[in-house]
Amino acid sequence: MPAQTDTLLRYRPWRGTLRGPGWAAAAMARASVTLLARRRLYWGLFALVLLVFFFFFYGQYLVVWITTQTADDTVLIGGVKVPVANFTKFLDRLALNGTDHTFGNFIWFEGYVVVILLALAGSVLVGNDFHHGSLPFYLAKPIGRWHYVLGKCLGIGIVINLATTVPAVALWVEAGLLYDWQTYYFDNLDLLAGVLGYGLVLTVTLSLLVVATAVWVRQTVPMVMVWMGLFVLLRLLAGWLVDGLKADPEWRLIDLWNDLYLVGLWCLQADPATVRPQPQPAYWQAAVVVAGVCGACAGYLRRRVQAVEIIG
Amino acid sequence: MSALLELENLTRTFGAFTALHDITLSLPPGRVGLLGPNGAGKSTLLKILMGLIPPTSGRGRVLDQELGGDRDSAGNWRLRRLIGFMPEAEALVPGLTGVEYVTLAGELYGMPRRDAQRRAHEVLSFLELEEARYRRVEEYSAGMRQRVKLAQALVHDPPVLLLDEPTSGLDPAGRDAMLRLVKTLGADHGKSVILSTHLLADVEAVCERVVIVAGGRVRRVGTVAELCGRRDDRYRVRVDGDPAGFRDDLETEGVHVLGEFGPGDWRVAVPRGWTNLAFFKLAEVNGVVVRALTRDDETLEELFLRTVNA
Repeated sequence: MPAQTDTLLRYRPWRGTLRGPGWAAAAMARASVTLLARRRLYWGLFALVLLVFFFFFYGQYLVVWITTQTADDTVLIGGVKVPVANFTKFLDRLALNGTDHTFGNFIWFEGYVVVILLALAGSVLVGNDFHHGSLPFYLAKPIGRWHYVLGKCLGIGIVINLATTVPAVALWVEAGLLYDWQTYYFDNLDLLAGVLGYGLVLTVTLSLLVVATAVWVRQTVPMVMVWMGLFVLLRLLAGWLVDGLKADPEWRLIDLWNDLYLVGLWCLQADPATVRPQPQPAYWQAAVVVAGVCGACAGYLRRRVQAVEIIG
Repeated sequence: MSALLELENLTRTFGAFTALHDITLSLPPGRVGLLGPNGAGKSTLLKILMGLIPPTSGRGRVLDQELGGDRDSAGNWRLRRLIGFMPEAEALVPGLTGVEYVTLAGELYGMPRRDAQRRAHEVLSFLELEEARYRRVEEYSAGMRQRVKLAQALVHDPPVLLLDEPTSGLDPAGRDAMLRLVKTLGADHGKSVILSTHLLADVEAVCERVVIVAGGRVRRVGTVAELCGRRDDRYRVRVDGDPAGFRDDLETEGVHVLGEFGPGDWRVAVPRGWTNLAFFKLAEVNGVVVRALTRDDETLEELFLRTVNA
């Protein structure tokens, strides 16, 4: 029985100084990452993230190695001399050369895994708080409702950045080592800033979107369906409208991942004419859509989190 | 020592509906039971005490901390630091172990991480969840869940514990243990306890004072002894011999038998103007002997029903 006197003698008072509510957001973020790390499925998805990263990492190395070491060599295939450099032509499309499109393409491809990861993470990190009534636990504490949202967004932001920004920075560092590191790092600081900016845009937009959709649908399967609708169906629809029916390029704005990509390339200062597929809407138009999505999510969260009853 | 609660003309309305009418209340630190039927305004009062909603008019303080303002204001954060809240809702975080859950609560209250971890271990040991602390909270039994919820309220060592239905879903043994624990926290460790419950026996077991709220107003305030001892129309009477006729005559004279503890052993409510002598006269008429006759207090349940039905 818990209330025995000998047990109660162990109770000791605590006399420390309590800190501000900002620290609570950090604690929530840490708890969120812990919750994800306990699930094998997320490790599986992170393995896919690493797979994409290593493809870019070694692809970048391979391109430089072939260019510098075997540029003029040929191999005989069916009696025909084929330059070794031709074998890496298929990599040209990915622009594995430490330029703006390298990082843009890398984050684009990582995005496929990140979207699945977040669709599954949303219900664990946020949906459960509504579904299992954990919200009073958070909101009865000396923190604001926005600290709750911030804490959850931070946790999701850590996941997003581990899958996109951190490996992209690693690719930037690698590119400097592969080319002339004494000039590359200095000359391409704007690329690093662009990568960080792209990461920031992804973090803010996707974390708000995850929290908002998880608050809305709460459970895993509906959450995955909503995300597939947003990132797969709308993409197919946008492609069909612009590439198939030759509608205005602004129709691509319904593809949120493409909008994020365009804003990211804007951060990386890529030439709009080099963005594939063409035609594309203007960077600023994509930025307006992304800002609109963020605003809508924040407005929705404000309404829903305020409506929570802590004492029924 | 500053008062636990001081409320002056506190009113809270929701549109045209007035949930709390002009409440004035002052309570010293101690263990307080907050009673009231559904819709009495209890939850609204608790929300105001936790700084989750402001009063529409009037003012109040909890341990010298002013009530009012937006729920996310710094003043209300300070207020909530004084209070360890144990919600009625499940309020667990599935996937976290007991010690992680309590540590997280400590950090949410503002404790440094290392302190929160150390304190979580201490509090869980104190609540006898030592062996279960590394198990996930969703695997806990009902009693363990209630205790881990108490642990998260206690982790930052608050001066006030606000417990919302702490014995909900517990078996009799678990309920008894929880009540003894809460009582000891108040009596031995100086915690003020505000216990909100529908179970009057819980309040009787734990609390020194009772506040009965009904229709948005405070109907009764006082110690359990004061409130339940005020009436002089309750008796415990025990007779030897055949009690049937005696009981019939009592009831004919307007005496209500409130409870029977054995043959000829009753708790009764007598009408106005009744004297002790009347018991003996009726006993003589019916050939029984009065073996015991004592003035009896009103039970908290009787007081509660009389108050809310008034």
